[in-house]
Formats: sequence, structure tokens, C-alpha cells
Amino acid sequence: MRKFLSRSALAGASLVPMAAFAAGDAEIAELKTMLDDMKAQYEQRIQALEKRLADAERDAARRKAQAAESKPMTAPVVHSGPGPADEHGHAHAATDNGFNFREAEIAFSATVDPYFDAALYLAVDGDGNTELEEGYFQTRGLPYGLKLKGGKFLSDFGYINKQHPHQWDFVDQNLPYLNLLGDHGLQDTGVQVTWLPQTPLYTLFGVEVLQGDQEIFGATLGDDEQAELGLDDTDDGPRLWTLFAKMSPDLGEKHALQFGVSYAHNTQHQALFTQEFERAGDEHAHDEDQGHDENHDDDHDHDHDHHEGHDHEHAVLENGLEGDADLWGVDLVYKYDAGGTHGKGNFKFQAEYLRSITDTRIRSANILDEETGEILKIDSSLIGSKREFTTDGLYAQAIYGFAPRWTAGIRYDLLGLTNELGGVESEDFGSSDRWTLGLTWNLSEFSLLRAQYAHSDILVSAHERERFDAFYLQFLMSLGTHGAHSF
Amino acid sequence: MPIRNLFVLLGVLVLVSSQAAALEVVATSPSMGALVREVAGSRADLTVLAGPNRDLHTLQAKPTMMRALRAADLVVAIGAELEVGWLPVAIAGAANPKILPGTEGYFEAAAQVPLLDAGGAADRAMGDVHPVGNPHVDMDPVRMATVARALAERLAILDPAAAGEYRRGADAFAAQVDARMRGWRAQIAGAPGVVLYHRDAVYLLDRLAIPLLGTIEPIPGVPPTGRHIRALGAELAGRDGVVIFAPYQSPQAPQSLASSLGWQAVALPLAPPQDADGDGYLAHIGRWVDTLAGAAASGR
Repeated sequence: MRKFLSRSALAGASLVPMAAFAAGDAEIAELKTMLDDMKAQYEQRIQALEKRLADAERDAARRKAQAAESKPMTAPVVHSGPGPADEHGHAHAATDNGFNFREAEIAFSATVDPYFDAALYLAVDGDGNTELEEGYFQTRGLPYGLKLKGGKFLSDFGYINKQHPHQWDFVDQNLPYLNLLGDHGLQDTGVQVTWLPQTPLYTLFGVEVLQGDQEIFGATLGDDEQAELGLDDTDDGPRLWTLFAKMSPDLGEKHALQFGVSYAHNTQHQALFTQEFERAGDEHAHDEDQGHDENHDDDHDHDHDHHEGHDHEHAVLENGLEGDADLWGVDLVYKYDAGGTHGKGNFKFQAEYLRSITDTRIRSANILDEETGEILKIDSSLIGSKREFTTDGLYAQAIYGFAPRWTAGIRYDLLGLTNELGGVESEDFGSSDRWTLGLTWNLSEFSLLRAQYAHSDILVSAHERERFDAFYLQFLMSLGTHGAHSF
Repeated sequence: MPIRNLFVLLGVLVLVSSQAAALEVVATSPSMGALVREVAGSRADLTVLAGPNRDLHTLQAKPTMMRALRAADLVVAIGAELEVGWLPVAIAGAANPKILPGTEGYFEAAAQVPLLDAGGAADRAMGDVHPVGNPHVDMDPVRMATVARALAERLAILDPAAAGEYRRGADAFAAQVDARMRGWRAQIAGAPGVVLYHRDAVYLLDRLAIPLLGTIEPIPGVPPTGRHIRALGAELAGRDGVVIFAPYQSPQAPQSLASSLGWQAVALPLAPPQDADGDGYLAHIGRWVDTLAGAAASGR
């Protein structure tokens, strides 16, 4: 691969001068000089190409190696459908080609006593690992339209956040939620208070105070990394709070419409931002290579054994970022109930917009030897400078019951209308989008069969795109008592 | 300041809505709404959540339902799990402790009368079954008279000042039912029977002793197959009857069975119009009786 690229670059180099070979002796000297210059230039360019290729190969190898130990999630890197497997626990989105047992969700809900309702949702993945999705109580008897919820639960931020995967209209989660909130969405431990005032229109206001243990929104690093990078520890909570409001006008029996506005703030957001550069000219080239911003949950040393045998010594600039994170959301849901047989003629439209802003400052700037991980130097000029990542995304989806028990769905999701790094250096990374078509056959209220096709155009790193198609077949069933038809 | 203004506004709205009537009542279906109108008259400010053309099995909880339930003093449901898919969700979302199941503010018609089809196996292989019994009690006017009396007692607890009024309303309704039943029994005598789509009118058939000849659905909640319809057609060949289905049920299978037998297939709602009172409810039952009786006249 590398050799092939070099050869084609050389062929180009020898073609260009031949075209210019039509002058007299007087000009030969000049032409020779030009030719030599060109040769030198092309050699430089070939070297640059070789270096980029080597870097890309090394990055790819490292990404592969890190997939198991960390979650490479940053402003520019995007998760979609068949993403890297998450070894920490089950991942709603991680699927392989072939058969996947996504999860069995076990749900219990009951009234505890006159004062509380409680619910417990356990997800068991294909390997038998069990994870607590939700476990909460909610008050029954508070006056003035107030309700208090406590425990681990899915936040009422936005619309789709509180839905479990079996309630989704598509096999997978949309890109904005997956990338701005992670596999589990805004799922955290804390308390929620909602207030439903007695107004002519349905209006619900809510506030949540949550611990803030998040995969992406307000992610934090491990203890060792925090110590190494001089970042604050993560022993204290709560760090995350949300506000939301929902409104629904009365449009008659056939129509239902709901608007929502949500805001979330995480008081702590940490990230590790690494940049590699050649040590030859020492620190002249921070911005030549693409950056890799990584959020780790695990400890991980910086000892990469992926030296590809080229002559340059590489060093790594490692920035520890500390700050906070904000998230805005707007949602709209419209449902049309045609009153037909088994959902025939029913229509549902759903759209949300999310905007995430992480406002961080550089706390540490260590230049490490790539081989040994030793700190060679500290670049104190960077410390204290601002790094603000802004990423937004939206999705819109429509579901139509074209026949009794059959629905067809279409979804468009987009991540990164704005996808930029602001601060000292400013960069816009670009966007990812996807079109999804779905067909669902509801055999009964308790089982369904779903086929889904998606075409994705995904930005996998700052200058690299992947276009791919995915086809899913999903079988979903619910056992036991009749489930709730919540809005 | 804007927040304080908002609170003042909300306070005014609360006052306005609470002055409209003695009781805020929410009924799940038009049948229950008719009963509330008949018993409580103008003392109840009534909201009916679903119209006559909705399938109460499959309805979804909507925010506007929660809004109506938020202010309610009493919920009047058919019960026996008919509204299980959406009413508990809507009540939970309404944050109104007055109407929680088990309190005075929650009333189920099915809990007031004996149920048919009760005690079956709780086995989903048998479809969307309700082991507690068939919930469609609102199709039996005699049971509805009993329900009306129980409803009057409940209203009397919530609004003791008008207890007499509620009881008189229930008595008047029961008297009307008695009067109409005599006529219907005479009218229906000798009716050959009916094929229903779903076992949703069995209470009326049971009351009037009309045979149920079969159902279009092989088991509840599962759509018919061509084989099932052909078998039903073969079994009923040469007999008289009528096929009745609800407006939200698919007309194809009922029509194909009816045409193969030379019968009529009639779409009839399971509930009166949304604004019906006691008379409206009895007119609705009257239409069913006419259709069931008409099967004899129009048959061969």
C-alpha cells in the first residue's frame, strides 16, 4: 500500500518536467535548476505522504488497540451502528455482522405502599452480564401536581432519552444521542422533581439533580490520569443537573402534539487531548497532525508499541483539559391516531435537536517520549488556555402505519452541523449523517419483526470519512403483563 | 417578577377551573360519560377521554389526558384491564393523588357487577386475554343500571350535598332501562344469532339470550386468517345471522364471511356518541337490538 502510493507519486514527478522540455541551450541550465528544485519538492512531498501514511497506519493500529480499553469519543469521532465493542459493559449500539443477542430487559414495577411506586429494569446481554438500567421510586401522593423520583433512572431530558431500546421505532439509537450522551443516554443516579400545574394546556416542568457519572457528557478520567495531568478528582457529587419543560396543546381526539425544551449542565468535564509530532525540529509542529481527544475511564499507559520502523523520533503532547459541559435540547412529537385497524393510518413524527458545549481549559501540557512515556518537557505556554468543543446534532423520523400491523419508517440523523473546537486554535471538523429506512411487522401487541436499512456517511476522525450501508433484522418480544402505551 | 406573574396567572386559572362545577369527572369512554351525565347532570364537569370509534385496548396515553386527569375529582373507567395500556400511565402522569386506584376518586364499572368469561387461563397463546373477566360490561344495560347506582353512591361520598340528586338520577336511569328491556326482549325474540369480530358485545347477547355463532378473530387480539373465516363459513352455512364489527376493526373478513353466507355485515360502534347522556346510551343499545333483530327479518 505504502509502496504503491510512493510509485504513483514518482510517476507524476517524472511526467511534469517532460512537458516543459522544448527550449534552447541557454535555458537548459535554468531548466535544470528548476528540475532539481522540483525533484527536491517532490521528494519532500513524497516524504510527507509517506509520513502521513505511516501516521495513519499507526493511528489505526492504536485505535484498534485502544478500542478495548477506552472509548475514543471526541468532538470529531463519531459512533454509529456497528461501532467498536464496548468492553465495560453491554452496549446498545455495538453489533457484529451476523447474529447478535442485544439484550433481554427484565422489568418490574409495582406500587410499594400508599406513598411510593417503584420500578426496576435490568438488562442482560448475550454473555449474561447484567446491568441495572433503572431502579427508582416515585411518590404517589404529593399535592399541587408535584412528583419526586429518586434512584437510578433515565432522565426526562428530551424525548427519546427515557425510552428503553425496545420502545424505539428503529433498531438503533440516533446519532446525536449516541454521540453526545452515549449508549445509555442521560442515565444517572439522583433525584427528580416534576410539577404539572393546573393550566388549560398540559405543561410539565422538571428539575433533576444527578451524580454526573456520564460516559460522554461530563466525562471524567481515571484517578491515575487525574493525578498525572493535574486534574481535579471526581470524588464529589452531585455534578449534573437538568431542567426541562414540556407542553402539549389539545388538538382533539386524533391528534397529539408535544413540545419540549431541556437543558443540562455538568459541573465537571475532563478530557485528555493528545497530539503527536516529530521531535526532530522539536516543538515546531503541534498543529500539523490531527488531534486525538480521548476520554478514558480506565488507567492506561502511553506506551505504544506501534513504531513502524521509520527514522523519526516521535513525541506526544498530552493536554489534560478540565471544565464543564452544557447541553441544550429541543424536541417535538406529533402523533396522528387514525382509529384504524391495528394501527392502520396512524402517523408519528418525532424530531429533536441537541447542542453540547464543553468549556474546558488546559490544565497540563506534558510532552512525552512516545516510546517510554517519560515526560520530556512541560509546555507551560499552553496552560490555562481555553478549549471549547461545540457539537450539535438533530434527528427527524416519521412512522406510518400503511396497513394493519405494518409500519414503515424513515429517519434522518445528523451530527455536527456545528462541530468545532474554539479557543486559542479554532477548527471545524465537519458533520456526519445517516438515512435510515425501517419496516416493522407487529405480529401482535407482544412481538414484532423489524427490517432496517441505513446509509451512513460518518466522519471517523478529523479528516477521514467512512461511507457504509447497514442492514438489520430485529426480532423483539415482550413477555408477561400488558405493557404501557406511554406517550 | 415574571415568575411571580406566572404564579398569579396560574392561581387565577386554577380558581376559574375549579368554579365551573361541583365535581370534575373524567370518563374513559362515551358509555361511562353517558352514565355520569345521567346520574350527576350539571353537577359534574365531564371530560370523556376516548370517542366511540376508538379501541380502548390500544389507545395511547396522551399529555392532554394527563391534563384532564390532573384536575379530576373522579375517574370513571370501564375497568377489568380494558384500559390497562394507557389509563394507569395517564393517571401516574397526572400527579393527582385523588384519583389513584383504590381511592374514592377512582371508579371502575367492571368492579360493580359480575363478569363473564372470568377465570380463563392467563396464557398469551390464547391472545390478549383478561383472566379477571371480559371487560366490556358497558354493553349490558341492566349491568349499567347497577353501575349507575354504585356511581351515585360514589358521587354521594365525594359531594354529599347532592347525594339525593345523584341517587334519583341513578333510579331514573334504572327505570328507563327496565322499560326499554321489555320492548327489546319482545323485539329480539327468535333472533338467530350473530358473529362478532371480538367478544366485545357478549354482555348484551347474554342479557337478551342471543346466540354468539362465532368470532372473526380466532383468539382475542389476533387477526383472522383466511382458513379460520372459511371454516366459520362452512360451519354456519345454511343458517341465519348477522356479522357485526366495530368501526376500528378491519371490514374485509366480516364482509367476506357475510357475503359467503348471504348475511349482512354491519359496522356498529361499541359506545354511544361522545356527548351522549342516558337516553343517548339507550338509543345506542337500541341500534344494536335493531341490528340483531333485523338478522331474522333479512335472513332467508
